[in-house]
Amino acid sequence: MRAVLAKASLVRHRARTMLAILGVAIAAAMLLDMVMLATGMRESFRQLLLTRGFQLRLSPKGTLPFDTDATIGDVAGVMSTLRRNSDIREISPVLGGSIHIAVGGRDVSASILGIDPKVQGDYEVLSGNDVTAANAIVVNARLLGELRSKIGDTISVSTGYDPQTRSYSGQRALVVTGTVRFIYGASDQSAAAVRRETLQEMNAQLPTRAGDRASLFMIRVRDSANVEATRHWIESQLPNVSALSIATAIAQVDQRLSYFRQLSLILGAVSLFVGFLLVTTLVTVSVNERAGEIAVLRAIGVSRSHVIEQIVVEGVFISLLGAIIGLALGLATARYLNSILSAFPGLPMAIDFFLFQPRAAWSALGLLIASGIGAGVYPAFRAASLPIAETLRKEAIA
Amino acid sequence: MSESPIISLRDVRRDYALGAERVHALQGVSLDVVRGDYVAIVGPSGCGKSTLLNLIGVIDQPTSGTVTIDGKRVDDMSDREATQFRLRNIGFVFQRFYLMPILSALENVALPMAEAGVPKDERVKRATGLLTYVWLGNRQRHRPSEMSGGEQQRVAIARALANQPKLLLADEPTGELDAKTGTEIIALFQRLNNDGTTIVVVTHDEELASAARRKIHMRDGRVVDG
Amino acid sequence: MLLALLLVSALTQDSTVAKPLPTRERIPRTIAIDEVLADQAHLHVGDRVSISPLPNTPGDTVIIGAIVRRGADPSEVARGDLKVRLHLDQLQTLSNYGDRVDRFAIQTKPGTDIRSLIERVNGIAFGFRAYPSSEIAVETSRTFQVVSRFHRAIGIITIVASSVFLLCIMVLKVEERRRDIAALRLMGISRATVVRAIITEAALIAVLGSALGIVLGWLVSVFVNWHYQAVYRTPLAFSIVTPMIVIVAVALSLALGVGAGIAASLRLVRQPPLALFGR
Repeated sequence: MRAVLAKASLVRHRARTMLAILGVAIAAAMLLDMVMLATGMRESFRQLLLTRGFQLRLSPKGTLPFDTDATIGDVAGVMSTLRRNSDIREISPVLGGSIHIAVGGRDVSASILGIDPKVQGDYEVLSGNDVTAANAIVVNARLLGELRSKIGDTISVSTGYDPQTRSYSGQRALVVTGTVRFIYGASDQSAAAVRRETLQEMNAQLPTRAGDRASLFMIRVRDSANVEATRHWIESQLPNVSALSIATAIAQVDQRLSYFRQLSLILGAVSLFVGFLLVTTLVTVSVNERAGEIAVLRAIGVSRSHVIEQIVVEGVFISLLGAIIGLALGLATARYLNSILSAFPGLPMAIDFFLFQPRAAWSALGLLIASGIGAGVYPAFRAASLPIAETLRKEAIA
Repeated sequence: MSESPIISLRDVRRDYALGAERVHALQGVSLDVVRGDYVAIVGPSGCGKSTLLNLIGVIDQPTSGTVTIDGKRVDDMSDREATQFRLRNIGFVFQRFYLMPILSALENVALPMAEAGVPKDERVKRATGLLTYVWLGNRQRHRPSEMSGGEQQRVAIARALANQPKLLLADEPTGELDAKTGTEIIALFQRLNNDGTTIVVVTHDEELASAARRKIHMRDGRVVDG
Repeated sequence: MLLALLLVSALTQDSTVAKPLPTRERIPRTIAIDEVLADQAHLHVGDRVSISPLPNTPGDTVIIGAIVRRGADPSEVARGDLKVRLHLDQLQTLSNYGDRVDRFAIQTKPGTDIRSLIERVNGIAFGFRAYPSSEIAVETSRTFQVVSRFHRAIGIITIVASSVFLLCIMVLKVEERRRDIAALRLMGISRATVVRAIITEAALIAVLGSALGIVLGWLVSVFVNWHYQAVYRTPLAFSIVTPMIVIVAVALSLALGVGAGIAASLRLVRQPPLALFGR
């Protein structure tokens, strides 16, 4: 009977109820978006880092992977040191750099990775073959388009380019064997990959980049429980490197993007407050209008708690319907906002700022519904506690 | 007719604040109403008759004095006790009907039964019976907005009888009705009393007052006659 | 870029971890470090440090000659870079860069026509291009263009949301007074007068609300700058309240407030007065 009364009461003032539901829906959508923003980037980044199962990354000391041009020397020595640790299952050394290709009188530049195809975790082959041969190169679709080439073509690739003299150094003829998608690649980036030895040979002529070098080592540890211990061991054995676990990498990125978390916290709190305010206002106005009815219910013997329940149920109805609509609205706006932030230069395509995580989403919407309950309780309690006789008298006068 | 008083008031006073002033609505009222009686409380506006009815109906509490209904002291009950007491022992009819506009006639009558925990089938059966008793058997599904004033008041009376109360109290039940409809209500009250219901009405309506067995006259917060 | 290659290890005069002075530099030259580095590594003017292109390799001993305040450079914010300034020739030697630089920054004499100068330089120079500094700034601030767009989107969503909230609350509050409005109408007061009265009230609330909002917004702006300048150790202003922003905000909130008042009041005055009484 109470639910029937509550529903009927809301239907009585349809336009008002719809407006309140819309208001709560918008608050719910914003709250959901802010929850997605607060946790999305971190989770999205974590998922990206774990794509190929590499739990540790080694970069030159004091730097983040590919943050600078610095490299780690004596790769062979580093590999042999790392192999002494039985917890380490796989090591993927990666050398980064840039390449230049002359196309129709203009210079096309791209980033390049020198990898070991057996253990690489940087790209997935979309078509053609991986770089099994020393003179093979794989490219992403964007670079292939810029080069106006196709799989099988031979291109002349250089690692050095002097714009003053327009001369190339470290040149080599390479065959495009396949197209790939770089897991950590940004949408606006042209990129390619060759075997690390190939890139090193091409770099041999460049004094700052010559030698057995790598920009990054990706490491797969046998047992995930030993990741931290392995990390400490590596840093003790190799003082020239910084070893980053996923947790550390995320913490570093978190720090840089703390602004978005703070923004999401503030806007989320404001949304929750506004939703609460809306429901409170609606319930207050509703019970003020029905003071006489409520007094009569009390007069005929309906208990205070039952009257409060009925009124609170109205608030819950609005919050619940608002939350459902807000869920759909929030997902749509999150997609739109994500598309804006995805344009950050250099941001890996796979990173989402807004990530839907069911648990976080349900918690947020649950919080909104709980606040809807809370919002209805006080006005309901006040209304149910009005002195019956006095209220009836006032209503009669009115 | 039984002789034991079902209502007993002793030196009841009720004061309340009206702005900056203090109003003495009742000034030491004592009276008894026996079981099965049909009492009309009459008097000029502001004499305290509605206040008296509210105290008997346990929807208000006296400033001092005692109120006993069916042998139970009700003037010092907690809100919860008073609510339960009202639900099971008292039926109240208001001048302005105060039906739930969003419920049908049947649902309005069933409302107090639902609160008392009566199962749904039983509720529907009893509510149907009550509406038939008040000559509205064919209007069960209608909403108050689809009924005349007289019909609404009859639904309100049926609602007041929902939990078979010991007392039926009515505050100006014909106040918002035309003379013809008022007569129907008066006839209904007569019938209820003949069937054993104890009734106390507050009224300006001479015809309604005359239909009662006993008249209590009030003036300035006191009982002056009856 | 090259600066990032340099690692600084502090050598104080009484350090027990003494490395032999490299033979390259006998007379220490001076460097300037940024205030964050000075703070993190507990360095002061006059301290001797060793700088090298790679970790744990011999480098040059230098003396910290100055500690430099960070500029209001948006691209520095949120990055953990520590900056060191050396004499150009020292850096070139240290990093094996040769007689090269990444760029030249050119300051022109007052009154110089920049565009024609750029044309002449680009005509003469071989292998590099000249740009006005403002164009470079635009390129390097792509990150902040994204943030700007994001803020704008949030702003638009907030405005839409606020409009709905405002309308909702206005409708509720005006409906609360339906009996008053009905009584006025029954007395003979025209619809137009009632609507005008409600709009006047809404406008007044909007004006007061806007004023309060501007003060609040300014206070929040001050706080945001204070907080983020401390967090990122930069003099960069993160939030600026300009006269144009104030004007737009006030105009928008007035329009929304009055609009909500109009919508709410029209809803009610269209109904017959007795209906407002519930009859």
